[in-house]
Amino acid sequence: MKSESGRLRGAKRELWLAWYVTVVFYGMYSVVFFGLSRTQPPGRPWLDPDQTVAWFADRHWGLLIGFGVIFVLGGFSAVALALITHSIRRMSVSPVFAYSYLILYAIAAIPGFMYICVAMTAGVMRPNRAPIAAQWLYDLGFLSFVGTMGVFLIGSLIWMIAVLIDDNRVFPKWFGYLNLVNALTEVVIAPSWIFQRGVLAYNGAIGFWVNVPVFGLYTGVFIYLLRDFIQREDFGTGPLPAPADVWRRARPAVEAVGA
Amino acid sequence: MSMIEETTGRAEAADDEVERFPGDPDMWLFVVVESLVFTSYFCIYLYSRTQHERAFLEAQSALTMSLGIVDTIVLLTSSWTIACCVQHTNARRYETARWFALATVGLGAVFFVLKVAEWAHLIRDGHTFTSSDFMQHFFFLTSIHAIHLIIGFVVLGVLVRQLSGPHLRAHRTIETCSTYWHTVDLFWVVIFALLYIVR
Repeated sequence: MKSESGRLRGAKRELWLAWYVTVVFYGMYSVVFFGLSRTQPPGRPWLDPDQTVAWFADRHWGLLIGFGVIFVLGGFSAVALALITHSIRRMSVSPVFAYSYLILYAIAAIPGFMYICVAMTAGVMRPNRAPIAAQWLYDLGFLSFVGTMGVFLIGSLIWMIAVLIDDNRVFPKWFGYLNLVNALTEVVIAPSWIFQRGVLAYNGAIGFWVNVPVFGLYTGVFIYLLRDFIQREDFGTGPLPAPADVWRRARPAVEAVGA
Repeated sequence: MSMIEETTGRAEAADDEVERFPGDPDMWLFVVVESLVFTSYFCIYLYSRTQHERAFLEAQSALTMSLGIVDTIVLLTSSWTIACCVQHTNARRYETARWFALATVGLGAVFFVLKVAEWAHLIRDGHTFTSSDFMQHFFFLTSIHAIHLIIGFVVLGVLVRQLSGPHLRAHRTIETCSTYWHTVDLFWVVIFALLYIVR
């Protein structure tokens, strides 16, 4: 029979596994979307059918290999989402926050994450397809991707409120405010449904280029803070030890090693 | 003195420094990041303006300068009332502070009504979100500012609630709410300068 400390060590190991999967997922996501498939930055919304066919031809193998990787490993997103949900459940707030977040992102993963992969793969699958059909797939892919930004908006607001009213100091309060910054940049995507050109189009200076650094910063920060949360997690129900306490506890050991 | 004690002492000294900071220091991260985001919007506007200067000037003439000035006076007055609210809170004159907070809500509401009236007037005259590059920027910047203002009403609601209950009244929370409102005002001052004054 496992001792209490052994059980806690095992549970923490499981959280660390989930955290590394989260890092791998976001790393893979960036490499596939920005590097392999080059679907980010997004293509121009105003391409005509022939230009769309050329766009697909230019990325033929990148789209097939990149989205092949996503089809195999995209399920990792569930682990990342579960880790975030677990962190919200550890807060002193109602479980409604964690469940809302979980359901919101679980549903959004299909149109916001898988549709673009299916549409773009279908676009390159038959190079001889009628250009108008290729253009249709191109629009479907990007619009489904952009169209789920409202989910990030509401998700960020849910996380923000949970962090700001939490008494268990799972995340620092400034992360709550950073959620608000992220939510406000998601609002800016809404005009991309109206504009095909210009700064507010989904590939525009405001619609894309201002938002990406904010989202990149936000993602990097929450991955770091999840790591910090796991370090402090005691599997209780009260406040977590402050980061400084964990650091102070670890310091004598570090000094002993140094001596 | 051991190293740990020394570190703790330094941490306490740092905490004292933080105590003198107005409001919750965490809120200042929001102010800094959001200011950077707005600065990038302003830079994009100014760049677009240099590309189509004549078209921007023509479209800009549709704006009513006097309305912009009234908007600015209303919002700056709301900054003054919220500053008075914080001062009275610090002096423990909570009832007066609450009245200043309610005055801030009222001025914010006046600003919002004026903004909606201006949008309606422009749209009636055929100047819409899609009618020109200038109007695209105008409606975008004023709308995103209005969204910040609406969030500001929620923040002011928290502030009024804090002042209403004797057991609540956390001075730091009241200063934090005030910091948010001042930030929204600051953004408007720059938006006003760029959209209405710069020719």
